[in-house]
Amino acid sequence: MKGKKSIIKGLIIKALIFVFITAIIIISLGPLLWVFVSSFKTNREILSGGLGLPSVFSFKNYIDALTIAPIPQFYFNSIIVSIVATVGNVFLLSMAAYTIARFDWKYNGFFTMMFSVGLLIPGAALLQPLYQTMTTAHLNDSLTGLIIIYMAFGLPSTIYIMRSYFKTIPREMEESAYMDGSGFFRTFVSIILPIAKPALGTAAILEFLLCWNEFQFALSLTSSNSKRTLPIALYYFKSQFASNYGAMFAATIMVVVPSIFVYIALQEQVVSGLAAGAVKG
Amino acid sequence: MIHRKGTIGRCTTMNISKKWRFIFLLPATALFLFVYAVPVATLIGTSFTEWIVASEPVFIGIDNYIELFSDEEFLQATWNTIIWMFLQSTIHIAIGVMLALILARKKFYWKFTRTVFMLPNIISSAAVGMLFVLLLNPSFGAVNSVLTQLGFTDLPNWFMSRETSFISVTMTWLPYAGIVTILLMAEMTSLSDSIMEAAIMDGATEMQKNIYIVLPLTKTIIGTTTILGATSMLQKLDLVMMTTKGAPGNMTMNLPLYVYNTAFIANDFGLANTSGVLMIILGLVAVAIINRIYKTENHYY
Repeated sequence: MKGKKSIIKGLIIKALIFVFITAIIIISLGPLLWVFVSSFKTNREILSGGLGLPSVFSFKNYIDALTIAPIPQFYFNSIIVSIVATVGNVFLLSMAAYTIARFDWKYNGFFTMMFSVGLLIPGAALLQPLYQTMTTAHLNDSLTGLIIIYMAFGLPSTIYIMRSYFKTIPREMEESAYMDGSGFFRTFVSIILPIAKPALGTAAILEFLLCWNEFQFALSLTSSNSKRTLPIALYYFKSQFASNYGAMFAATIMVVVPSIFVYIALQEQVVSGLAAGAVKG
Repeated sequence: MIHRKGTIGRCTTMNISKKWRFIFLLPATALFLFVYAVPVATLIGTSFTEWIVASEPVFIGIDNYIELFSDEEFLQATWNTIIWMFLQSTIHIAIGVMLALILARKKFYWKFTRTVFMLPNIISSAAVGMLFVLLLNPSFGAVNSVLTQLGFTDLPNWFMSRETSFISVTMTWLPYAGIVTILLMAEMTSLSDSIMEAAIMDGATEMQKNIYIVLPLTKTIIGTTTILGATSMLQKLDLVMMTTKGAPGNMTMNLPLYVYNTAFIANDFGLANTSGVLMIILGLVAVAIINRIYKTENHYY
């Protein structure tokens, strides 16, 4: 009797788990797939609703999206901003992380604390002050302004990831380099950074995704289309071309595809990076 | 080889250290000052001023704070933000934890599910907002198509009707606890096998193992993800902006959108910064409460 009961209980739990997992997959993948399939439909097919496949796979919506909104420009800006901010972020912040990891001096704790305070400050609270600072510095409505801000928003996680990794590199590495006559900076660039490649990769991916997806500062610090980034393209579509649904579908797919590729291709590093970054908060 | 660990190496480090220490810390410190320290100081300073765009800030004491606490829109925004933080800290975390417990058994589907579940967390939330705008569109959205097939009629305009707008915006993020799952799984796989084996020897069922061993051992990381999640609710400008812009009425208004509107639509910089200060305080309070519940203090800093 007891055995039979526990078998039934086991089956029920299995069934519940199956339903739960299926639901999770549907809610995560369903909307994306539906938008992807719909992006090839004609406007009429879209408006008639339904979940079916398009009668003909046409790229018209993509061409529309690229021509009626300045998506190529937004794309270009996103690429420039994300790459420059990512390179700047990992390089400049690695320098700081290295200093904190290597020198034993009394201000170490202070700097560590200072750099993690950033985590506790929501970016949205700083919208107006940063707008003000950028205007004063004549960096408003410029890609440079966005790059500086994105570099700084990746500060806590990059410093944390890099610092933890530098601590695992034995000091003898640098010492032998100095013995061979290499200077401090050269040792850092040609010995330490190459060793820290895995951590640099992780920090770079997280920073890249941050830059690629950022919305609120891209919206408030830029005003001309020649300076805006991809997430704003969607906002632009929604407010200006509300009736061209096909182009909206296509634009959404164009915005999400790079993030998805980066994630799928570099999954393990993203995951380990999140794990490393999160111990910090 | 003799020198490798010898004094010369360390001496060299010491001698050049001061100059390089300064140079190496400079860019990061400059970024910190420019993007965090100075803006926060500005925020606090100007929160006590009347400052409309293009004019000079005038000191008015705590008038802005008083004004905010009698401003219905602000109170609604704060209330919504708090509710969302609470939902995030309970339902959202529960979904993530449950999935992590299931997937940690490493069935054949675990990696696929993990990857798929992360996707909405990886793409920009403006795009997630857009996905839902299309999905819930009253005339052609997939949700209504399915519901109509199932025989439902009189479906609401999900984002625009008073009854459904709040829950619709909530649904754009509530099911997606991918980060919680990933972090927890990382922690679970690092738990020592001997503890698990001991539990199995003692005859613990799967459920007992999870409740009495796995969850207590991963409490810290659950606390950390709760903090990450709750504070992310102070960043949800994009989702609200893409879906409802706070409408109908102020039903879906949240603090980031309130700050944005006050600063860039109403051009009332003083008031915007006062709400920014209160938003930071709300974040700190949330972190303190969650730390308290999960006792994560030591690990957080």
